[in-house]
Amino acid sequence: MSKDVKRTKRNKITAIVVIAAIAVLLIVGIILTDPLYQTTEDISEVMKDAVLHEENKVSLFGYEVNPAYISSIAVVLLLLGVALVIRIFAVPRFKLIPGKFQLLVETVVGMFDGIAKKNSPHRNGLLGAYVFAAGCYIAVGTTFELIGIPVETTSGVSVSLPAPLSDINAAIALGFLSYFVILSGGIAGAGLRGVGRTLKDFSLPISMSFRLFGALLSGLLVSELVYYYISLSFVLPVIVGVLFTLLHALIQSYVLVMLTTMFYGEASEPHIKKPKKQKPTAKHGAAQNNIPVSQEV
Amino acid sequence: MPLNIDWQQILLHLLNLLILGVGLYLILYKPVKKFMQKREESYAEREEKTGDALREAEQRKGEYEQKLASADEEIAELKKQASAETETLRAATLRDAQAEAEDILADARDKAKREHDKMIADIGDDIRDLVSDMAEKAVMSPGVNEAYEQFLNEAEKGEEESDGKD
Repeated sequence: MSKDVKRTKRNKITAIVVIAAIAVLLIVGIILTDPLYQTTEDISEVMKDAVLHEENKVSLFGYEVNPAYISSIAVVLLLLGVALVIRIFAVPRFKLIPGKFQLLVETVVGMFDGIAKKNSPHRNGLLGAYVFAAGCYIAVGTTFELIGIPVETTSGVSVSLPAPLSDINAAIALGFLSYFVILSGGIAGAGLRGVGRTLKDFSLPISMSFRLFGALLSGLLVSELVYYYISLSFVLPVIVGVLFTLLHALIQSYVLVMLTTMFYGEASEPHIKKPKKQKPTAKHGAAQNNIPVSQEV
Repeated sequence: MPLNIDWQQILLHLLNLLILGVGLYLILYKPVKKFMQKREESYAEREEKTGDALREAEQRKGEYEQKLASADEEIAELKKQASAETETLRAATLRDAQAEAEDILADARDKAKREHDKMIADIGDDIRDLVSDMAEKAVMSPGVNEAYEQFLNEAEKGEEESDGKD
């Protein structure tokens, strides 16, 4: 056996031993620290608070806000920060033949722009920018809960920051904003007719809001349920996290973007006057039926 | 409010979304889209230029093909013309050569005649000298004298006989 093979085998064994030791230490740490964070709330209270956010509030400049609002601010700052970094360091170095990172940025922007153009061919300037922001917000906001940044509530309890859209207020804000964007597109594209087309779908903001809220909430509830019991906190969160967070992030972004663009396209479609059908005159009609005019009258 | 809906929080979220929308549009979406559009225009321009160059090349190719076709005709015409010219030249050259040959022949004949006449003249003198020499030699030789003596004797004899008969 050559020296290289022996060395590779030794490296593999070392890696396995190190990983196993870390896993054991983590498990021991989890079990030992568990009594420190014994909650007095039972699972029904935890889940109710996850839905309603009645109990746990966070203080923000003297205002009591839901933890999801703090998440929202964090997500907005994160997105704007990343965008600023890309704008300052990457965009000026963009080349005609793109590199990997440039290709990624262009693909994301081009994808939202393409969806806007495809579903609303008449007007899509504002729409593309809006769906880009909304899509990024939903995707990043939903995956944000995976980080689990802890904040202290006004009652002194520590909670991890949830996804912004798991708060119904955030979902309503996004749903109504999408509706207003559609309405603005209707006004800009087809005037009063566009307003009429948009108002016809008056249930749209509610359905959009509650769809987002329901989808995000389901993930949150399952996560709360899983993390409530320590016995479920191994292996399972990986699957749950992927299923209820990553997939939701992509699916909900796609759904809201598609719905907004489709309704926008429908509302902003310019009206085309149909040519009037010529009614046959009484004389002509009578002549056709071989009926004397006097008789027909 | 049911479901803990709070208008203040909704407005706060709306403000957040507005800031995010405007910020992302100005910071990232617009510059990236502008760059992509610029590149698209650049490629469109290149494509247009390539198309123009291709069209020009096609046009030139057509022109060249046409020129080539006309050049073939021109070449054939030139060949024909050259052939005719060559034929004319050849005929003229032949005619000149014949004339020259005739001149040369006439000169040669003339010269030959002159040579002949001169030779004949020269030969006449030579023959005369030769005959004179031969005659002289013949006269001077002893055999001839004997024969002459015999001839004279015979002639005298014959004259005497004829006198006797008379």
